[in-house]
Amino acid sequence: MRSSLRNPYIYILFVVPTLGLYALFFFYPMLTSVGYGFTDWNGLEETNFIGFANFQQAFADSDFWNAVRNNMVFILFSVGVQVPLIVFFAILISQVRRFQSFYKTTVFVPSILSTAVIGILWGFMYDPEVGIINQFLGLFGVETIYWLADSNWALPAVLVTNAWQWMGFYIVLVLAAILSLPKEINEAASIDGAGGFRRAWYITVPLIKPIISVIVMLSIAGAMRVVDIVLVMTKGGPVGATDVMASYMVNRAIRYGDYGYGTALSIMIFAIALILTALYQLTFGKMRERVEF
Amino acid sequence: MKKYGLLLLVLMVSLTTVLAGCGGNNAGQGSSANTGANEAGGSNEVNAGSSGEEAVVEDAEPFTVSLRHIQIGDAKKYRKAILDDAVAKAEAEVPGLTFELDGVEDEVNRFTKLPAEMAAGNPPKIFDLFGGEGDALKYANAGRLLDLTPILEELGLADKFLNMGQFTLDGKAYGLPIGGSTEGFFYNKQLFAQYNIEVPTTLEELEQAAETLKSNEVTPMAMGSQAAWVPLMLANTLIGRYAGPESIYGFRDGSAAWNSPEVVAAFAKYKEWVDNGYFTKGELGVTYDAMLNEFLGGKAGMMFDGSWRASAFANPDLVKEITSEDVGYFAMPAVPDGKGDQTAVNGNYSNGYGFSSNLNEQELEAVKAFIKHLYKDDMQVRGLLEDALLPSMKLTDAAASEIEANLEDPVVKQIMGTMNEAGEAFSHFDSVVQSDVYSETEQQIQRLIAGESSPQEVGDALQQAQEAANAN
Amino acid sequence: MSTIFNRTIPHLILLVYVAAVLVPFAFVILSSMKESNIDIAERPFGLPETWVLDNYVTAWVKAKINVYFFNSVYLSVTSSMAGVLLAAACAFALTRMKFKRVSNWLYQIVLLGMLIPGNVLFIAQYILVKDLGILNTHWSLFFPYTAGAVPLSVLLIAAFMRTIPNELEEAAIMDGLSAIGLFARIIIPITMPALVTVFIVNFLGAWNEYLLANFFISKDALRTLPTGMVGFRDAFQTNYALICTGIVYSVLPVIVLYAFLQKQIIEGVTAGSLKG
Repeated sequence: MRSSLRNPYIYILFVVPTLGLYALFFFYPMLTSVGYGFTDWNGLEETNFIGFANFQQAFADSDFWNAVRNNMVFILFSVGVQVPLIVFFAILISQVRRFQSFYKTTVFVPSILSTAVIGILWGFMYDPEVGIINQFLGLFGVETIYWLADSNWALPAVLVTNAWQWMGFYIVLVLAAILSLPKEINEAASIDGAGGFRRAWYITVPLIKPIISVIVMLSIAGAMRVVDIVLVMTKGGPVGATDVMASYMVNRAIRYGDYGYGTALSIMIFAIALILTALYQLTFGKMRERVEF
Repeated sequence: MKKYGLLLLVLMVSLTTVLAGCGGNNAGQGSSANTGANEAGGSNEVNAGSSGEEAVVEDAEPFTVSLRHIQIGDAKKYRKAILDDAVAKAEAEVPGLTFELDGVEDEVNRFTKLPAEMAAGNPPKIFDLFGGEGDALKYANAGRLLDLTPILEELGLADKFLNMGQFTLDGKAYGLPIGGSTEGFFYNKQLFAQYNIEVPTTLEELEQAAETLKSNEVTPMAMGSQAAWVPLMLANTLIGRYAGPESIYGFRDGSAAWNSPEVVAAFAKYKEWVDNGYFTKGELGVTYDAMLNEFLGGKAGMMFDGSWRASAFANPDLVKEITSEDVGYFAMPAVPDGKGDQTAVNGNYSNGYGFSSNLNEQELEAVKAFIKHLYKDDMQVRGLLEDALLPSMKLTDAAASEIEANLEDPVVKQIMGTMNEAGEAFSHFDSVVQSDVYSETEQQIQRLIAGESSPQEVGDALQQAQEAANAN
Repeated sequence: MSTIFNRTIPHLILLVYVAAVLVPFAFVILSSMKESNIDIAERPFGLPETWVLDNYVTAWVKAKINVYFFNSVYLSVTSSMAGVLLAAACAFALTRMKFKRVSNWLYQIVLLGMLIPGNVLFIAQYILVKDLGILNTHWSLFFPYTAGAVPLSVLLIAAFMRTIPNELEEAAIMDGLSAIGLFARIIIPITMPALVTVFIVNFLGAWNEYLLANFFISKDALRTLPTGMVGFRDAFQTNYALICTGIVYSVLPVIVLYAFLQKQIIEGVTAGSLKG
């Protein structure tokens, strides 16, 4: 009677296509990466096994560690600046009655656009001559800033663009969590009356800890993954100021033909991702006991 | 004979179905089918003489040949037109042939697409290629490029080229330069007249001109350093001046050092100009096109660029304040204490086309037709007249007199005049040094501009990279 | 008094945010109809001196945006569809069928994939698609997109399926449904909200993807919107009005689609994350 749920053939039929594809395009590349990482393969010449030489080189490669540092800035910015703002705006939207769906719809828009198009659009916004940002700052007497050309400004400029793209998405996530709270709580947390926003914040935030933990995780994962926006806007420049791990790795492999070294770097990136995951589990992960992910 | 014709037909049909089946894939599966066609073609030659070729002509089975070019955008439309003409003629000559043109931005092709495709072993059949150690010779060494020597013999082009050095490995030709170029200063005659600036003949006068322009809030030299090869043009010529024309070739064989006082002096001069504000502000974010735009817009007095840019001044599609009449050209002046011939100018025959070594019979025919129709006198003449591209081939007297009679572009005339006065020509180091070293120069010049490395540090880092590359 | 005050302030703050979202679009649309860079530079928010619509014709002809757009749509739809179906089948087997121990192992292995940032595999995947002979075809993107979406998709769908009460399927099996019938007729319809979510998340992922698309495809006719647009920008770097037109073309259809489906899109995405 219940045997059909015990039929191993059907089980295999259901599981194998998915896991097969996953294994071929995910696990197999992972394994070959480990293999390539120990070679000097460059696609053109004979390939030799060179032991840990690539990893030694990586540890001494200041450009790579500069990229790692930039990635960390991405993470810190996402978690330290974006997340509080996301929660702030989500609470604010949850409190207004009029135009609520208008706000929700509008803030979400950037997250459905393609990163490459956003990169082009913001490259135009930052343009020193025709770009609107300098024009706007010019009104306050700020001198032209060469956003994407200045080593000091390029990374913040890319960070802002990235935030512009993704914040709305997270705001909508948090908003949904707030709106799904029992009605009484939202009423108690109303920003009307004395105490206003502070009270709303203190009542709401503890109740949405699980979703905050989720967006922290998604932000970290997103910041680790970031590469498109960098490649489109600055290609990692000027002088590596916006290079992130992935863009540096891709660049080494494709442009320099150092495929062996590039895969070694990707193994390092994976290791760093594991360390971050562990750190996350020890900190924010604990907030999530109610959420099974 | 019929039998083989039929066999070939069957093979070609199966080839096209394979191609259609995988959505126009000409990589992996395509190449296995190619091998099949090659074998059939080979056995044809042995057994049945020319029947293979005849079959191709008679059956005219449609086939496509991929062609990667870099002639995209308004500034390169003349070059594209010449390419289109050659393509059309070759298509008309080889039945069934269609070229599949794929236009990619120059730098993206040279530094991203082509290297990846070469490593993967699936470059387009015909592609834009740069000469030198880092490009053509590297790929030729790895067996990726078609040896053109027999084709050149067949077409009678074997000694028609002025300079094939950057495409020649062990006496075999692996690429064909489409034109020649030199690099120097373009200047805006209107602005020079407005501020009473004479055409500089010494370094001092050049710097004086820059000061004058700067004090009048005009950018002295338009510069787009987002892509590092652009500032490297100027750096190359400065090295040629300070360390002598021979030094450019000396890095590879060890007779010149990047951290020698002369080369460092060249970088120091570059740095001095950066610090003095002679270049476009925020140059590290300025693209090559934007640099041209600044000059065309009359916002910069000078621009150090390649001779090929002259066609942009006559191009009506580009929005601009000046015409070719307003543009002058002069070579880098002599520098004090410079080594070697101070009248030498940069001269390159480094950009052209290369061909995949993985071709079947048909594709080989297509390549031959392409070479035949692109590399000939009238195209070379058009290249110069329409596109300011200096000839890369020895021209017949008829072609030379056609040029003489029809060359009206004032800028091109000045460039040619400047070249005639030059004592000798030196190459660009990008075609001399290994690709690892070249990549390092790209990083270092940007570090120099950004103020993160001193001229001495730049020289030391480059010498270190050079020694590492020479040791391999 | 303070109530009015309290009610206005949030709107003011939110309007600043809304402006930050919308201003770039307004800037791009206005710029796309201007004749020259000078017109853009001098009056960024002024209406064009002369309204130039030529850009729209030129961009359409020069940029092949219709081709890129079609490629993007069909790749994103097919790969997310395939991803959803595969993940649903897998999640069903893992959560509802009676092979608990194997399932637990497999589930953990799939979850392991969540730890791998996708682009780490870039080089190895490049070699893989090259070896499979699908480099420079849409398959070279279809498979990595579909496979890359597996971990999160299985995770979300499995979480949803675990909440389906056992009684339901017992009843269904009583009625004589096979495992496949149970999956197709009962589980899929019930799981639909989760499937929609996963579809949307995967769709956006594939729609946005740039890195693989840039390196695995070199034929113009096969390019997707992100890479096609970057190529277009590289070709017409300084013609800002033309580039803006390209941006408008590539953004407009998405915005229109979003205007109609915003409820489904937003609900899908949020429901998914909350369930997870």
